[in-house]
Amino acid sequence: MSLNDVLAILQGALATVTLSAIGILIGLPIGLGLALIRWARVPVLSGIVAVYVSVLRATPLVTLLLLLFFALPNIGIPLGPISAAILALTMNTSAFNCEVWRSSLVNFPKDQYEAAQSFGMQAGQRFRRIILPQIIHDSLPGLVNEMSLLIKVTPVLAVVGVVDITRAAVRIGAQTYEPLPPFLVAVAIYAPIVYALVALQRFIEKRRAAAEAST
Amino acid sequence: MNDPQKILYIAGLSKSFGKLQVLSDISFSVERGETICLLGPSGSGKSTLLRCINWLERPNAGRIYLNGSEIGVTGHGLVMKDSELSKLRTRMGMVFQHFALWPHLTVLQNVMEAPVQVQKRAKAEVEAEALALLAKVGLSDKRDVFPARLSGGQKQRVGIARALAMKPDVLLFDEPTSALDPELVGEVLLVMRALASEGMTMVIVTHEMAFARDVASRILFLDQGRLIESGTPADFFTRPQTERARLFIQRYAGVAAA
Repeated sequence: MSLNDVLAILQGALATVTLSAIGILIGLPIGLGLALIRWARVPVLSGIVAVYVSVLRATPLVTLLLLLFFALPNIGIPLGPISAAILALTMNTSAFNCEVWRSSLVNFPKDQYEAAQSFGMQAGQRFRRIILPQIIHDSLPGLVNEMSLLIKVTPVLAVVGVVDITRAAVRIGAQTYEPLPPFLVAVAIYAPIVYALVALQRFIEKRRAAAEAST
Repeated sequence: MNDPQKILYIAGLSKSFGKLQVLSDISFSVERGETICLLGPSGSGKSTLLRCINWLERPNAGRIYLNGSEIGVTGHGLVMKDSELSKLRTRMGMVFQHFALWPHLTVLQNVMEAPVQVQKRAKAEVEAEALALLAKVGLSDKRDVFPARLSGGQKQRVGIARALAMKPDVLLFDEPTSALDPELVGEVLLVMRALASEGMTMVIVTHEMAFARDVASRILFLDQGRLIESGTPADFFTRPQTERARLFIQRYAGVAAA
């Protein structure tokens, strides 16, 4: 295995990280929006979201990806492999994020919400000032868990031709007839990516604990 | 109802939850500086009545006026929008049974939140007032502490300071001492007594009979969702008009004597 091969795997890592990050960054707020629609019981929309979430949670990512990649161009929406990958990751993770956010919202103490109401806060203020800061902390472990799962399902993007870490390793193994080294490198790269996420979560939690303990 | 002395004017208020009629045809008014104690057995509708006043519960019938402005319903008879209702709610401070402080904000931030974010008042001015209010409820040293670190009595005193910070026309208390350990009740009642003597207008749902007898300017007695007695503490406690009130007083007198 040459240096070039390692670089190829690192290039795959770039694809993995970039696509996961895009999926996470778009999927987080969409998940929150979906959760709010269900929590506020918005007529009609709430039912649609419930169906969307159930269907997406039941659909394997690889199936969803193939469906989007082959079916959308068929009905006149051209979609490249990267766009299909981002769309599938976002749809999938938004459905799971929705449920994490929603459980925090459902468990949010009613009297705190009523206090905000009775002090004259309007819906937007109640959400921004009182609810959001608290549900972020409450949802964080579940969200980070979902993010790490998302990173680890990215190898399925290879079915539409995206070269991620695992795909790059497979290629090198096939060329050199030595599959062990590239896969060891691949494993060694996934670990720090996921670890970085968990470290970020710990940092946020510790910062909050420190703020509360400092007084 | 445009009588400037009348801060609250409530007429024909009714509320039901499904088939359960919780409040039936309640009417009364509150004058500036009065301390009204709402008494009655559990389930008589006291808390629901208080929550209807600021529309945390939406009444099924009746009208509520705060300083001459009708709450919850516009001049065209439509249900108010969030923004209109919010404006009226800032003129009523509410103190909750379980405190309902915001745990992600410090004591000082809890007190300053509504004046700064809702009333859009200058931060420096609000902070000075908030510190004065914390001094008044005896919690100056707790300004930067998060609510989780406070005792129940301290939490409720912060709750009162938070309600006062909006400079409301009237304070609504929903069983402010019911969730407290017995030895912590006194410190909260002390603050409320001080407010009453300063002439703050208050409507208090309580089970503290001694407090009601000493501090209330008027007692309203509710039973099964009806307002069946209204009078001075002296009249209510010594010469109750109804059998229900007599039994109620007797039961509490028994507890107090024991």
